[in-house]
Amino acid sequence: MTFLFHEAFCLGLALLLGFSPQHPHESVTTRPVTDILICRNAHISFYSPAPIEDIRAETDQAVSALNSATGSLYFKVMIRSFTFRRSLMQEHFNEDFMESDQYPYAEFKGNVLQMPDLSKDGNYTVQVQGTLTIHGLSKNYTVPATLSVKNKQVSGHAVFNVKLADHHIQIPRLLMKDIAEQVQVTVDAVYQVDNSSSAGTGA
Amino acid sequence: MKGLYVTVVAGLLLFPHTGQAQQDLSRLFADSTASHLPVMATFKGTTLVNLQTTKTLHAHDLLFIVGHRFGDFAGSNGGGKTFFGMDAISDVLIGFEYGFSDRFTAGIGRDKGAPNGVSEFQTQLFYLTGKYRLLDQTGDGHIPVSLDLFARGIFSAAQRQPIPQSNIDFQHFGDRWSGSLQLLLARKFSESFSAELIPTYLYRALTAPQDPHQMFALGAGFRLKINKRMAIIADYVQPFRSTASQDYYKQQFNQHFYPPIGIGWEVETGGHVFHIEFTNATSILENQFIPNTTTSWTKGQFRWGFNLTRTFTLAKGAAAEWKQ
Repeated sequence: MTFLFHEAFCLGLALLLGFSPQHPHESVTTRPVTDILICRNAHISFYSPAPIEDIRAETDQAVSALNSATGSLYFKVMIRSFTFRRSLMQEHFNEDFMESDQYPYAEFKGNVLQMPDLSKDGNYTVQVQGTLTIHGLSKNYTVPATLSVKNKQVSGHAVFNVKLADHHIQIPRLLMKDIAEQVQVTVDAVYQVDNSSSAGTGA
Repeated sequence: MKGLYVTVVAGLLLFPHTGQAQQDLSRLFADSTASHLPVMATFKGTTLVNLQTTKTLHAHDLLFIVGHRFGDFAGSNGGGKTFFGMDAISDVLIGFEYGFSDRFTAGIGRDKGAPNGVSEFQTQLFYLTGKYRLLDQTGDGHIPVSLDLFARGIFSAAQRQPIPQSNIDFQHFGDRWSGSLQLLLARKFSESFSAELIPTYLYRALTAPQDPHQMFALGAGFRLKINKRMAIIADYVQPFRSTASQDYYKQQFNQHFYPPIGIGWEVETGGHVFHIEFTNATSILENQFIPNTTTSWTKGQFRWGFNLTRTFTLAKGAAAEWKQ
């Protein structure tokens, strides 16, 4: 009988901690109603030096969300949205390397480790850890990133390398000379407070 | 002990909760899924063996094209003495195409012209082409096919020959013109298989007797990918020549007309598309190979052919300038 009481007590406590609409610490800070920051036009570019012609592509159609309380971070980009200077290269990129009909998106799900307090202006160097899924293959990454706050506007910036082999991106032998084995990826996002999502999504 | 128990259970219940918050972030963008994206690379070359494809150039791309048709591979004009037709060139085309937009490609070129049969004497051909993309097949099936309109106008610069009943006895400047109008209807059925259907209208200003000025034809072709770089291509054209016209040529000149059939091997490397192909058609332009193919596969009158194209990108878009 006492055991059951314990069970009920624990469950009640857990529910209280986990599902209460307002955390105790939230009530004392000047945080907005939601902790979710969102960016619908994140800029992603990649660059790969090559003997014949450097390969560059970019998109500003990536989306991202950052939970400023928990440090949860999410990125998603449609592969077809990357634009190249040579549209023929863009066709090869989609058709042969990325097989974007089959794997239309690249996705990152992770966390900002030791999340700084974003209520104060400043530049914060952080580590971001998570899973990057490209070409249907997921791999764990830990990369340095910068979070900047200026006039309460939060932006993120990161540069890291992706090895093509890690994501089973195979370059046809006839084109092998043209393409490096890893590409440098640059990510930039300027976040807005997400007003569309309900307060319930804040953890 | 009780305190530890509380912590553990609370922790267990909280952890899935943070996991749920994680998922919520991706759910924020559930509505951002793109739709109606056009399918890519239904065809790689602007032609199959003899027929056009729905491929238009990307904006500001320039395509250089060289086409070759050799002599008969076998039969009475082929075999070892002509190195299986390699010594005898029947038709050569050199041309340029330019993508004015992703939808509209225009071309200009020079073709030798390949006399074949009894009525085909016109050579020294200059042409202008236009290809316009009307419909793009989408990956989600919203639009099931791609549709292009293709037109070619051809001018023969050959010197007038006073051969009676020929199509080279030019009386007026207008006699030198011919051309074709085609609807290119294509569908990419799977990652490796694309096919197309081509209703065709031909017009020739000057023709031999019983050779019609206007003719309809129906073409069909496909491309089957072997791997990322190579494909098998094939096409077929059924010209609709009247029985009266066929009988006339059969009785007067013992000439038979055959549908042009081509089969080829396509290799694509970066900006190049190479075709090595076999066809019974001796000529490259529609106004000649569709109505006047009198050479037959079954008589060994098929030949080597090449279509070689190289794409040059002339675009200097803003994308070139952005910071590294």
